[in-house]
Amino acid sequence: MTELNLGTHRTFIPEQELMFLADEPVVYHCHHFNLFLDQTIDDGLGAAEGTLLRTEAAAEFSYRLLKNLCERTNADTPPERLQLARELFRQLGHGTLEINADADGGQVIGTHLHYGFAWQEKYGKKVKRHYPADAFAAGFSSAAVEIAFGLPQGSLTAKEEQCFALKDKNCVFSLKRRVPPVLDGAPVDAQSTLAVVGPPENGIGEDVIQPIAQGLKEFTAGVAGDERGLVQAFGVFVTMQLTGYYNRVSYDAVRRIEAKAPHSVGVLEELLRESGHVCVFNTFGGILLSPEWEGLVGPLTDDPLDILKWSIAIGRALGMGRWVIAEFEADRRFVVRTSSSYESAYYRTRYGLADRPVEYLFQGAALAMAQLAHRVKFTEKPALTPEYYQSLFKGGVPWQAEQTRSIVCGDTFSEIVVTRK
Amino acid sequence: MVQSVQQVVAGVPSLRGVIVTAMPDCLLIDSWMRDNENWASEDVAAYFGDLIRANREGLKALHAWSAEMEVTIESTDMLLVLREISTDFVVGFIFERATPLGMVRLHVRRSMGILAEMLPKVQPEQRPRALRVADFLARYAPDPHTALQRAALRSGIPLELLKSPEKLSPEQLEIFERSVQDILGLETLSL
Repeated sequence: MTELNLGTHRTFIPEQELMFLADEPVVYHCHHFNLFLDQTIDDGLGAAEGTLLRTEAAAEFSYRLLKNLCERTNADTPPERLQLARELFRQLGHGTLEINADADGGQVIGTHLHYGFAWQEKYGKKVKRHYPADAFAAGFSSAAVEIAFGLPQGSLTAKEEQCFALKDKNCVFSLKRRVPPVLDGAPVDAQSTLAVVGPPENGIGEDVIQPIAQGLKEFTAGVAGDERGLVQAFGVFVTMQLTGYYNRVSYDAVRRIEAKAPHSVGVLEELLRESGHVCVFNTFGGILLSPEWEGLVGPLTDDPLDILKWSIAIGRALGMGRWVIAEFEADRRFVVRTSSSYESAYYRTRYGLADRPVEYLFQGAALAMAQLAHRVKFTEKPALTPEYYQSLFKGGVPWQAEQTRSIVCGDTFSEIVVTRK
Repeated sequence: MVQSVQQVVAGVPSLRGVIVTAMPDCLLIDSWMRDNENWASEDVAAYFGDLIRANREGLKALHAWSAEMEVTIESTDMLLVLREISTDFVVGFIFERATPLGMVRLHVRRSMGILAEMLPKVQPEQRPRALRVADFLARYAPDPHTALQRAALRSGIPLELLKSPEKLSPEQLEIFERSVQDILGLETLSL
């Protein structure tokens, strides 16, 4: 078995800025996004159904990733495959797993798990949690054991019995055998993605954006979890995460709410957009304010167009798609387009065309970039605290975002127009 | 005749601010702060009311409650004294941290006497419970700018209706309150 090095298995679709790990679509996202998205799913479906959906989504896409990686690294025996799974989990920034299980099930102990650990860090002093937080680790664990012992996908269930977010010492998962369900979701990989991206475009400031994006890609190629299995950088906890997880939990939740409480769809979509907003504001802002950024690009300015160009470069490097600045008028209007997004790639592959734009991350991100560009005095090096973030909403957000074109609706690109209210 | 908090505390040395909160709804009534302070009284007033309420309940549980209770908080950079005027108002005095406690108490006592005369005698009239539940959520929810949306999604009550919570039916109020408890991780709401 060859040693796992994420950088050697990471690829981008040229000029589309979509990232893959062993052919599975992935993206970098921070704990703000991860926690808010999971919370939104549970708000919509309830804790039990939300946790189950998140666990199943994690298992589905982890299984595919692990299968591909085992083949690429020649991990053939159960111990080798379990070792690969542990190492993969750590390098992705999800924490540390100790797997004590075989084909009949068993137990997994997790420490410093991204979701539970970050939840405790962000919310633990403010609210008490009543149910476990680590559905992703649960699903990943069941998939790891299935792959290790050559079981069909879905042969194991995983349940988190103890959780750090509930103030338990560690996270403990029990794995049990079951009759595997029929899984009928179409695979979403590089090939299916290529079929639903538009022709790549250039926008304003490409001479700045492209080299920075390339530099950031090279920088992130070496990023992996520390001895805890966490990636702590730029003021956030970062994961390389399977986009299938994000997409399945989001779109399954929307479809279920459409069926059982259609009047709640709007508010669910609003919260899904907020996941993108809180992510981009904190992560992009944190990257811009970091010493690493200054080393790579140089000193910050307060010119909104500079901030937008840099933000677009960050979005591309993190694998969010080929974002371009289509139009810009300082303090009035910002139009961002993309010929590709991990959201549209999944949606089109699994569901076909939609009756309305559903690229929630892209929508929230566009608004957040406008806010970063116009409301943050970067030269004053502000601390992007929760209080700072909340202050953006006092008196109302002075910007509004509208998605005017959408790949999921059949357009060749997606477009968000952000205007001053 | 003294007509404002500013007049009452004029000349009190080392005082950074005073905030008067009407109970039981924890609403800001009046305030004064030094020119160089950067907090917003509206952001603070409700928490002072909650603090006194929690303190009162705690002392009652200890069989130690008295109307003369006072809460003193010594933080890194300020000294805070909270006192009640009857059960209608909570007054928070914020002093510089190094102010001698004896001087603080002296000025608090003197100011409280004047404030008790100045503040109106009110017939306590609680606002509808739904309004207080919504306010409590806004005060204590993580990410408060999304709290009402979360409650709408959890409860299934339309967001527009939750923006006018006084219009909720008793059944809807019960569901709304449960969703707020879930969001805050609380068994009951201390309203």
